[in-house]
Amino acid sequence: MNAVATVGLLVQRTGACGLFFFDCLRSTARNGVRWDRVMEEASKVGFRSFFVLATMAIFVGTNLAIQGSAAFATLGAKSLVGMFVALGGVREVCPLLAGTMVAAKAGTEMTAQLAVMRTKDQIDALEVMGVDPRAELITPPLLAILITLPALTMISVAIALASAVLVAVFQLGLDYGQFMDWLIRNITVFDLAAAMIKSVCFAFVIAIVSGYFGFFSERGPAGVGRATNRAVVTMCIVSITLNFFLTTVLYG
Amino acid sequence: MAATTPTPGPLAAFGRYGLFCGDVARSFAGGRWGLAEFWEQASTVTVRCLLPVTITAMPFGAVIAFQGMAILDMFTAQRMLSSMLALFMVRELAPVIASVLVAAQAGSSFAAELGAMRIKEELDATEVMSVDPVGWHVVPRVLAMTAVVPLLTILADGCGIFGGWLVAVGMHGQPHGVFMAHLAEVLSPFDLFASTLKGLVYGLMIGTLACWKGFGASGGAEGVGRAVNDTVVLSVMFVLVVNYLLSSLLFGGLV
Repeated sequence: MNAVATVGLLVQRTGACGLFFFDCLRSTARNGVRWDRVMEEASKVGFRSFFVLATMAIFVGTNLAIQGSAAFATLGAKSLVGMFVALGGVREVCPLLAGTMVAAKAGTEMTAQLAVMRTKDQIDALEVMGVDPRAELITPPLLAILITLPALTMISVAIALASAVLVAVFQLGLDYGQFMDWLIRNITVFDLAAAMIKSVCFAFVIAIVSGYFGFFSERGPAGVGRATNRAVVTMCIVSITLNFFLTTVLYG
Repeated sequence: MAATTPTPGPLAAFGRYGLFCGDVARSFAGGRWGLAEFWEQASTVTVRCLLPVTITAMPFGAVIAFQGMAILDMFTAQRMLSSMLALFMVRELAPVIASVLVAAQAGSSFAAELGAMRIKEELDATEVMSVDPVGWHVVPRVLAMTAVVPLLTILADGCGIFGGWLVAVGMHGQPHGVFMAHLAEVLSPFDLFASTLKGLVYGLMIGTLACWKGFGASGGAEGVGRAVNDTVVLSVMFVLVVNYLLSSLLFGGLV
């Protein structure tokens, strides 16, 4: 019974998110896009997430190098660490890392903001004034995340690879030339394009989910907290599951 | 307490976090906390995180198997897949996945609960009744988190390896016997211990961070939202940074 109810809720939520997205599309088509707001949001999302993301990318790169060397040393092939870092970092870890980070930082901020506006009746006030709250509040952050997340993904790729090189050469004592050779040879343009495609998909998920949970949050401080909590968990689960399917489709 | 002072710099915030941890330790050592509350929190955390951890760890293992198969195909060393998968899952990914999901699910709800209590002045009310709010509300939550995350890490170990099995045996047609035979080849009991230890450390860290942020929330509903947001971001960041240090310590590299 409990499992059935959970599945039912899941289907219901997915449908509600889809409907919400189409509502947003329709109201945007009717009202046009406020590009100045989009740019403002994009600079906010990009700037706020950048330092957190950079810190994390550094440590993800170091871990890739350490674990890669630990794994391939047992196989007797330390030179493969470069390939491991390139494939793991560019194809899987960096798009997910950037996605999770923007979800945790910009996504939850968006949810909390919308939930607070809901609590303070500001969304209803907009509606009363004849302004469509979706076009005004959801579309600009959605487009902003769509623009910034692929860029942030590429930046995190660069940072993670650089820190992996540093750890491999200085901490693990691998040969620089050999490492770089394996690293560069295993990053293709297709890999980078696939990372961009993944990050665009994650951006959609993040923007829609965080917008949905914030827009329809319960009122009061507890409601704001609950909405933010649910949004983060949903974004994490959906992006990670989606990542598997994207990998299967792109590299299958 | 932390609630009254504005946030100056990150260093000062770090110091206040340390002071808060001291408060928690003092209340814990003083025995001013309830075992019943601990059990309740622990079961809540377990129930709420069980499904998210399971359904995120499986795709992770599947992705490793998927990409690993492609690499190992080049060297016709497909049999190494399961040992590689087990190594990455147990040493590195399972503790991180479990703790990130727990931070997102339980950590943020701790911050939301405590934040709402702070805003509604329920915490002040507890204090007025001369009940220690840290011991009553925070210590059981921190302990619950510390106890549950290692268990969820073990669960993530299993689920990740199962996800890899689905891809390797189910999709790529590797014989089940080959997969199983190489599974524990490189893995030692020490790796399992290290995995659980990582989970324990991250659980303690996320628990204290979440309660600190929730306990110090201020400024109405926005404050609660900010506390939740900060909890998730800080937890993920701390986990990744400490993970690097722990990996270097436990699996060589630094020492």
